[in-house]
Amino acid sequence: MVESSLTASRRRAVVGETRHLLFSVTPGAAWITVFLVLPSLYLMAVAFMTNGPYGLPEMPLSLDAFRQLAGFGFLGWSPGNAYTLLRSLWQTFVSTALVVIVAYPLAYYITTCREKWRPLMLLAVVVPSWTNQVIRTFGWMNLLAPGTPLSDLAESLGLIGPHMGLYPSDFAVTLGLVYNFLPFMVLPLYAAFEKLDVAQVQAAQDLYASPVRAFWHAVFPQTLPGLLAGTVLVAIPAFGMYVIPELLGGGKSMMLGNLVARQFSGGSNWPLGAAGAILMLLATFVGLYAMRRIGRRLGGGEEVVI
Amino acid sequence: MTTIKTRLVTALGGLLLAGGAQAASEKLYLFNWTQYMDPAIIQAFEDKYDVEVVQNYFNSLPEMFAKLKAGGVSQYDIIVPSNYYVPRLIQTGMVQKLDKSKLPNFDNIMDKFRDTAYDPGSDYTAAYQYGVTGIVYNAETFPDAPRSWSLLFDPEVNPSYPFAMMGDGQVSMGAACAYLGHGYDCTDLDAWKESARLLLKTKQRGNFSGFVDGTPALQQLARGVTHVSLSYNGDYLFYKEENPDTFKNIKFMIPDEGTELWVDSMMIPAQAPHPDLAHKFINFILDPEIGAQLSNYNYYSSPNAAATPYLDKVLTQPPVTPADSDIDKLHFTPSLEGDKLQTFNQLWTEVQSR
Amino acid sequence: MRKRTLNRGLAGFWWLTLAFLYLPLAVVVLFSFNSVNSAAHFADVSLRWYHQLLGNAQILSAFRNSLILAIVSSVIALVIGCLIGYGMYRHRHRRLGWLIVLIYLPIVLPDIVFGISEMAFFVQINRATGLLEPGLGTMIIAHVTFQIPFVALIVYSRFVGLDPTLFEAAKDLYASPFKRALHFLIPTLKPALISAFFLSFTLSIDDFVISFFTAGPESATLPIYIWGAIKKGVTPEINAIASLMIGAVLLAALVSLLFNRPRRR
Repeated sequence: MVESSLTASRRRAVVGETRHLLFSVTPGAAWITVFLVLPSLYLMAVAFMTNGPYGLPEMPLSLDAFRQLAGFGFLGWSPGNAYTLLRSLWQTFVSTALVVIVAYPLAYYITTCREKWRPLMLLAVVVPSWTNQVIRTFGWMNLLAPGTPLSDLAESLGLIGPHMGLYPSDFAVTLGLVYNFLPFMVLPLYAAFEKLDVAQVQAAQDLYASPVRAFWHAVFPQTLPGLLAGTVLVAIPAFGMYVIPELLGGGKSMMLGNLVARQFSGGSNWPLGAAGAILMLLATFVGLYAMRRIGRRLGGGEEVVI
Repeated sequence: MTTIKTRLVTALGGLLLAGGAQAASEKLYLFNWTQYMDPAIIQAFEDKYDVEVVQNYFNSLPEMFAKLKAGGVSQYDIIVPSNYYVPRLIQTGMVQKLDKSKLPNFDNIMDKFRDTAYDPGSDYTAAYQYGVTGIVYNAETFPDAPRSWSLLFDPEVNPSYPFAMMGDGQVSMGAACAYLGHGYDCTDLDAWKESARLLLKTKQRGNFSGFVDGTPALQQLARGVTHVSLSYNGDYLFYKEENPDTFKNIKFMIPDEGTELWVDSMMIPAQAPHPDLAHKFINFILDPEIGAQLSNYNYYSSPNAAATPYLDKVLTQPPVTPADSDIDKLHFTPSLEGDKLQTFNQLWTEVQSR
Repeated sequence: MRKRTLNRGLAGFWWLTLAFLYLPLAVVVLFSFNSVNSAAHFADVSLRWYHQLLGNAQILSAFRNSLILAIVSSVIALVIGCLIGYGMYRHRHRRLGWLIVLIYLPIVLPDIVFGISEMAFFVQINRATGLLEPGLGTMIIAHVTFQIPFVALIVYSRFVGLDPTLFEAAKDLYASPFKRALHFLIPTLKPALISAFFLSFTLSIDDFVISFFTAGPESATLPIYIWGAIKKGVTPEINAIASLMIGAVLLAALVSLLFNRPRRR
């Protein structure tokens, strides 16, 4: 009798627990499902529809949008979209690499400073990223316009033609991307440097003559988890950027995000835009998966929780 | 902490209430080009009918069309598209027929704008203003500028100064077609392909600065960001009169090979929230004195025959009213639809993305 | 010897980078006081653009929209996010992988895809039913969607940092779950709630892409207004409003610095 009342109360507890789980989790899960998963699924469906005469998607399902994305149109194959895609990949790669190169010494330097200054230094690095993306990019438009000191310097160095500004151009977009993402790499690298095992570094310095080799064999491997976390925070959003290439690239340096947006806000081809969006999603997920695999191999199971 | 909280809450509440109080009177949602409507006219309309007019702006027709597709059809009461977008608006069912019984001033419109190719019988449109697209350039940089599109397309005429093309593909394509000798309103596929190739080559020149819409192009010229661009005659004159110093070297010209003549019309979207008020607004604009006030403000030609006696003298001369010798250089941009439109859009996306 | 030059080099690099980081912002602020409309030449100091700002009804309305959007969406996201954060903690031993994926989805999705899918979805629903017209409503919905994961994660990590026996103690003290929530959960969560609210608020105020695609005729926010002004043709009035926003951010940074100084647990 005692046993049956125990199982009864345990059952009631389990039911209570499940009810609690449902009550707490359902609003959030339902919200995200209805207002994000469903729209994303709809967008993916649009990619398989035909483009109506004025841009809205119509019923007969077809792969036309993907064909157009690959460059095949009424007039045979044209490389425009391929250029855009390659440009996106190239910009992502270059800006991430530059961010890494700049962030490493910076993060290291912060750790060499006195404890009491470090929060202030980190804050100083992060505060520009608190300003609005549009405003930040606008600032660079101001700096890189024709006739400004920077443009004049570049002109005298022969880097750009006379009377031209440094924007719109690929260079301006890269600069904008680096500027935008630098803080996101500095923070994880700083965290990794803080946890650095100094004994390993000293041992390496005893073993190897040059500081470069000491860095490569002792410091770098230990900062790898931070580097990985930073790369996830930089490269993956960089690929899908819209504001920076639009303002600093003008019509000259279009990235995938601009191509997609254009189909919805001026060009008239929702299915093509949706196909491009699927490509972006694929790139994002592949990138994340690749990062996790590398992370697991290097960090030995250390989960990257943003 | 609690006093700060209460103060914050009261401040926010005040802001919200202030916003809410305005919602009491009826509203008219106007979706128009920038720099195109006299604020005094809006004030006069608001006072006369005791309503509030909410103005939204677009800088180009593709932008307007995209906004309409994204829900604007049921949110705006009046839109002001150009002639070549009217057929596609009618065909997609995005606009409603005008109820002429509510527009007693409709007969003020000139005959040639009452039965047009793009809207036979004027069932859907009430002409607003008309004007010309041309080249605006810095006369200090180009003192002997040729009266031709070569200022834009020929690298020998402009080897090093930054220039911009128009963001609206049909206008840029038309300019290229005109320069190549096919005429501004070409619709032949081979002509388009040749023009697209020219546009691509132009875009890849070192001094190409980007695609800019008509009104922003003038600001860029004034700031020295570009030295040659496309813009509209009325906007040009508007800025020149407002800022004579900044614009003293900026000139407008009609290229000899041909350029765009456009007519903007007021239309009412199919699910406009306040169609009655929209009709009242159209009728208000078609009033002779209001029509003249509008043209006097934005320096465009008025299609309102009854407004002619009230127009300022500057409106009867170039650049607003083109010289007689220039009249046959002006063409409407062709209205495209169906497959032709899709082909065009593809060509244009191609040009923009390479 | 080598180490000292290295450190000096690094210090120089640090200041150079700092200059790089603040240069664009400084230029925006500097040229907001320019008396002429030029990005290349600074003529005289003048406040004319700020005067123009004050008379600009559109900017004030954009400011109001930004505030309303940020506050309403943050509050809704706070409630939903708290619930889900608590649920994630309380049932963390269960296999809720699918829930983690769902929570991370809004963070991971590129914001252009996020904005476009919301827009396409709302437009189709609007055509079919007439609900969800583009406006503050649709913007609030979109903003809440990307704020929920941040709130949930902050709440979750706050709970994880607590001693689990506290929960047992709370169960002994308060019989009804409601009382437990009121007297135990919410007070313990207070720092997490505050930082979650401010994070949501900041994310919303700063957002541009998602707002741009879900906005309606009357619901332009400050970033949307600035974007439109840039597209329309740059005048230093944009510098003026941008400078004010930069000022607000610097103020917030100062406040957060002062808040973190006296550490009271």
